[in-house]
Amino acid sequence: MVKKLLTAGVLGLGLLGLGSLAQQRTVEIEFWTYYLSPNFDNYIKGVIADFEKANPTVKVKWVDKQDTMERDLTAAIALGKAPDVVNLWQDSTFAAAQNGLLTPLTELTTQAALENAYYPNVLSIFTVDGKPYGFPWYGWVDQGVMMYNPELLARAGVDPSSIKTTDDLLAASEKIKKATGAYGWLPPVKDPNGASFLGRFFLEGLSIYDAQGKANFNSAAHVALLQKYIDLMKADVIPQELLRKEAFQLTNELYSQGKVAIMIGGPQSLNRVKESNPELYKKTKVVAAPLGAAKVQTGGAMALVIPKASTKKREAALFASFMTSRANQVKFANVVPIVSTARGSENDPNLRPKDPNDPIEVAKGMVSGSGRFINPGFKPPKNTDDIFKNFNDNIEAAFLGKKSAKQALDDAVAFWNANAK
Amino acid sequence: MKRQALTTTLIAYAFLAPALVLMGLFTFYPVIYGAYLGFTDYTIADLAAKEPPRWVGLANFARVLGDPLFQTGVWNSLKYLLVVPVLQIASLAVAVLVNQKLPLMGLFRTSYYVPVVTSIALAAVMWDWIFQKDGFLNWSLRLLHLINWEGRFSWLLNEHTALWAIMLVTFWRGFGYYMVLYLAGLQSIPAELEEAATLDGAGAWQRFWRITVPLMKPTILLCSLLSTIAAIRVLEEIIVFTGGSGGPLNSTYTALLYVYNKSWGNMLDANFGVAGAAGLLIALVGFALSYLNFYLTREERGGRS
Repeated sequence: MVKKLLTAGVLGLGLLGLGSLAQQRTVEIEFWTYYLSPNFDNYIKGVIADFEKANPTVKVKWVDKQDTMERDLTAAIALGKAPDVVNLWQDSTFAAAQNGLLTPLTELTTQAALENAYYPNVLSIFTVDGKPYGFPWYGWVDQGVMMYNPELLARAGVDPSSIKTTDDLLAASEKIKKATGAYGWLPPVKDPNGASFLGRFFLEGLSIYDAQGKANFNSAAHVALLQKYIDLMKADVIPQELLRKEAFQLTNELYSQGKVAIMIGGPQSLNRVKESNPELYKKTKVVAAPLGAAKVQTGGAMALVIPKASTKKREAALFASFMTSRANQVKFANVVPIVSTARGSENDPNLRPKDPNDPIEVAKGMVSGSGRFINPGFKPPKNTDDIFKNFNDNIEAAFLGKKSAKQALDDAVAFWNANAK
Repeated sequence: MKRQALTTTLIAYAFLAPALVLMGLFTFYPVIYGAYLGFTDYTIADLAAKEPPRWVGLANFARVLGDPLFQTGVWNSLKYLLVVPVLQIASLAVAVLVNQKLPLMGLFRTSYYVPVVTSIALAAVMWDWIFQKDGFLNWSLRLLHLINWEGRFSWLLNEHTALWAIMLVTFWRGFGYYMVLYLAGLQSIPAELEEAATLDGAGAWQRFWRITVPLMKPTILLCSLLSTIAAIRVLEEIIVFTGGSGGPLNSTYTALLYVYNKSWGNMLDANFGVAGAAGLLIALVGFALSYLNFYLTREERGGRS
């Protein structure tokens, strides 16, 4: 409790000049979230009510945006009606910051205050050209935990405790496919909004950039890793549909149908299983996830950013820091299994599992406090869209046999280095 | 008399005015401004910094025309136009069939229209299942002994079939819509004309070519125009079935997807100048094809009345 108060105090003092707000007239700030309504209305409205109670001169107007978020934000900025606090994910924050749309947070608070409040690894996700642009909000870890269908593993003679590394997981997947016809595990190879396969390189300890910041993911080791996954797809150990659908989406679809044995990720992966196949949900077991050779997790986070065009930046910063405080993130983690990005969450007693027999609760207990392991692996280049598109096209060509793994990576590196600004 | 004509004209324009004002604001202005942006350098960073667009002449057009991705998109969009004649002929033929006074015709007409009101999200789930490696299409082909078990493949993951598969969905979605338009056109043909032709000994085929088709020309023009424009503008299906990537291997990447990705795809990295230039080029192709439609369905002048 004392620690919590100290953290809140340091952040509060860091928000320059905010103490004088109480003497000012009431101002209304507009807060945009992304895909949180209606599922989390109670939580968001509760935090807003708490904030308004603590800050009677600030009113918060909450608007939940869905797939039109980015175009609405651009239109609002163009019309001079920018929202004051906006929830963006990491790549959007990066693009918005690089294009000059956001306020550097150090204009409103201090670096020390931010570092005291959030895990440094997450804060660094939102740091562009040395300046922080986002209050880290809820996060996730891509590896997180391993959730499995014990019947499928038993039929294949796979002992889950033997799966410690990604290589073990791939070997188990081969056995499961052969013995049961179900897929073992579906690795992300080509997600539409990112460059998923770079994550595989990072997890296995292979570099993305060299010391000069040039892409260098085309060494013999990179080629061998890509070739390994190509061979697995050829052998139908991993499905070809991964070239068209996100691994998360496809895994969710197939696990509930008993066509995939293992899910790697956060507890939220189990929500759909719980709804669509309660029997399988009850049987599902949760253990620590295997990691790659680098022994690291990948993951990401959402940010609360303050547009440069906001006219109430100080009030916005006050609200954003309140919303992303440890207390409020831990409350959120108890509503939905997010990973808190607030420093010290790993020791928060409120994140311990409440029911040791419920798979989601067990997974939550293992994951919610792991914000200190969140690592996206690499920073996106400027001109991200074109570069990621080219990278994914090359990866796809390699998987479909149109290019050799080496040619695909050489071409992707050449395009990346020629076009990254 | 002149005064009355003037009054009639004024009243007509008064009725048209609200629609024209709204179209001016929400259609013509954006189109003209979008076209203007095609000649400028204007990115999201300029918008954020409140910098005005900078005139660069034809530079964006050169960039767009030289971009292999745009060239692929244009080629795929042109291939997509093949859906137009097939869709028009099929929907006109079925409209003629369901324009009969036979039992259950109401049910048939409604059934054909169901895909029009089905959301693309729902249609995507269904067609996704049909096109999968273990989906309904491969199952049917196997049943007909057209492919064997090893010959199964995902229709949306094969660069030779993906575009055709998506075109089939466009056909399925548009078929009922055009059929209803044709049905309305058919029902406006006076029954006496058909009866007179029948009395004169004309067969069904002759009546179709000599009476139905000539009288349906305005509807055929409207439908083929709408269908051509829709084919050039196809976007929803591509995004839904390929996750917006236009894959596999860009075989479903259309010209409009290029515009979308340069402007709306990732707004925070948008380049409005490039998107405007590509959009203008596509609009020009659209105008040319619309003219072709008018030309092919033009009324013969100076012929027999």
